[in-house]
Amino acid sequence: MYGSTNLSEEDAKRMNSTVEDPEKLEAFESRIARGEKIEPQDWMPIEYRKQLIRMIEQHAHSEIVGALPEGTWITRAPNFRRKLALIAKVQDEIGHGQLLYSAAETLGKTREEMLNDLLNGKSKYSNVFNYPAKTWADIAVIGFLVDGAAIVNQVINSKGSYGPYCRALERICYEESFHLKQGHDNVVYLATGTKHQRAILQDAINRWYVPLLHFFGPPDKLSAHSEKLMKWKVKLASNDDMRNQFLDQYVPKIWELDITFPDPNLKKNNDGIWEFSDPDWNEFKRVINGAGPCNAERIAVRKFAEEAGRWVRAALMNPTEKYVAPLA
Amino acid sequence: METLDPRIKRLSLETSTEVEKTNSHLITYEVFHQEKRGKHVTHVGIVHASNPEMALVMAKEVFGRRGKTTNLWVVKTSDVYTFSSEDEEMFETTPEKTFRDPAYYKVRDRIEKFQNKNKV
Amino acid sequence: MSNALKDLLFKMADDALIIGHRNSEWTGIGPMLEEDLAFSSMAQDKIGHAQALYKILNDVLGEADADTLAFKREEKNFKCCQLVEQPIGEYDFSIVRQFLFDHAELIRYDMLTQSSFQPLAQLAKKVKGEIKYHVMHADTFVKLLGNGTEESKARLQTSLNYAWHLALGIFEKSEFENDLISENIFAGEEELKKRWLQKIIPIIEAASLKIPATDESKIVYGGRKGFHSEYLKPLLDEMCEVVRSDEATAEW
Ligand SMILES: [Fe+2]
Ligand SMILES: [Fe+2]
Repeated sequence: MYGSTNLSEEDAKRMNSTVEDPEKLEAFESRIARGEKIEPQDWMPIEYRKQLIRMIEQHAHSEIVGALPEGTWITRAPNFRRKLALIAKVQDEIGHGQLLYSAAETLGKTREEMLNDLLNGKSKYSNVFNYPAKTWADIAVIGFLVDGAAIVNQVINSKGSYGPYCRALERICYEESFHLKQGHDNVVYLATGTKHQRAILQDAINRWYVPLLHFFGPPDKLSAHSEKLMKWKVKLASNDDMRNQFLDQYVPKIWELDITFPDPNLKKNNDGIWEFSDPDWNEFKRVINGAGPCNAERIAVRKFAEEAGRWVRAALMNPTEKYVAPLA
Repeated sequence: METLDPRIKRLSLETSTEVEKTNSHLITYEVFHQEKRGKHVTHVGIVHASNPEMALVMAKEVFGRRGKTTNLWVVKTSDVYTFSSEDEEMFETTPEKTFRDPAYYKVRDRIEKFQNKNKV
Repeated sequence: MSNALKDLLFKMADDALIIGHRNSEWTGIGPMLEEDLAFSSMAQDKIGHAQALYKILNDVLGEADADTLAFKREEKNFKCCQLVEQPIGEYDFSIVRQFLFDHAELIRYDMLTQSSFQPLAQLAKKVKGEIKYHVMHADTFVKLLGNGTEESKARLQTSLNYAWHLALGIFEKSEFENDLISENIFAGEEELKKRWLQKIIPIIEAASLKIPATDESKIVYGGRKGFHSEYLKPLLDEMCEVVRSDEATAEW
């Protein structure tokens, strides 16, 4: 998922060992239980702050790294309509990064610290962006299905407890509806087009199927749970629930175009739960740990952007001004 | 480095380049947006910028690239004064002051009572 | 008159398409997030202007539709100046190019609001505000970077020197210059260049940069007549890769 909420064992241990002021904790938790939001200046448990920074930061990284696979085709979009839509769409992803880094900044970590951590590997981004966009059809599939998956995740997260993150997500979800529509439009044109167009679309779907299943993270039975993160409304739905919601919304929209998924076991049960062949979770781990087809390229390109822009940012710096964290 | 992106190919990047750590950062400006003439100007987020002029130029595309905009305001974050969150209790009893509330004034009951009494 | 009009519209449209295409290459890899967004929006604006100009060629002057004109035309039929064809280079070149080009563009559109050719006058009125922002953006950055660090100042000066004779190529006269002027369609490249210099010189000075010396023999002409730099052909091949990958009737 964009911002993963699965705790490492170490994190889980540290989280349980921090002792918070019980009175403040009680007030904080009852505020969340009442459905109220937490704002940056409020008291909050150390772990709440830490987990939010981690999640929002990962989400922000996913946006700016996510701009790269689609950027692959930005100079090759085949007509005015697609050219403008693709540039605007990739631009939006950078805009989402801007909004999300800003939300994380309110928690006390600067954008530069976050970008440093992306480049030195301390902080992750969504696995799905470590796969290549081989043909123009990948642009259609990413726009429709990767964005579709992201929207499932983001709509759920926008109901969370941290005000600035919710506000950023509200804006983001509004823009995502354009991403989805233009992606669907692109998919439909290819599916209803020439033999070649249908062939590249089918090929792209075949390649993106497993990364899409991986997108929501390991199955619930394999991932560490945190009651606390659920209670604090940092995590709002289980991986399996989100994955199921995604399949339910999008599989029929591909099937109706007479395009298939490369999985004979993909089907919806009578109880509304989708069944599918277990995607290789070892592959998922390998890619997370850097061995995906594009990990090295993505980081190299972000490093380039940082390095090439350094003199610009240095020149814009005003040494008489002192940085304070943004307000909201 | 191998890449499918022609833009990136033109940059001929090395995968191994070390990146210098950045510790300096631009200050932030809080951005306020007015959608239409006659509407309130509301806070929408922040931009990083080195002066107010740049903040406005940046704010236009960060917050004004969709829908309608008549104006944007930018204010340096450190120039904004706010209540501390503990002071929120100062506002707690305000909603109870119903004498400021139009719904508090219900004359209909009294009028009806008066009219019924007169009929008898 | 229609040949003179076509010539004017093609060179404006081709300039806008090619510089928009070039600037869109920065989307996602810009020097800071906010600037990435701004640069991308301006690239989209430019591509939109090209589309609108091709549409006039199609609607009023009997040329093919915008997509065909942009994606299926031979390199030698493009009328853009060589300034816009140059690769994006580093950010200093891209911002300097934008500064030089957009000032000319704003004045050109401003002049065209008075054009006797109504479709163009209307378009000029409509998009002037967008280009006004492009100029505001360019001025802000040129001033900040020109007055920034030693490095940023040196970079801007180098790029300004390099771009200068390319930029003067914007004003290459066409064979129809006199017709355009006498028919009150467009007041001409000479007039445009004069106003452009008046406009940019004080800003270059405010940016603490030196105005490059003009050597008439070094001005890069040719683009308006279909003679292009080594960069345009590969740009078009890349831009048209998907279109060319399938039968001509394929819809995308
Ligand atoms: Fe996004
Ligand atoms: Fe998106």
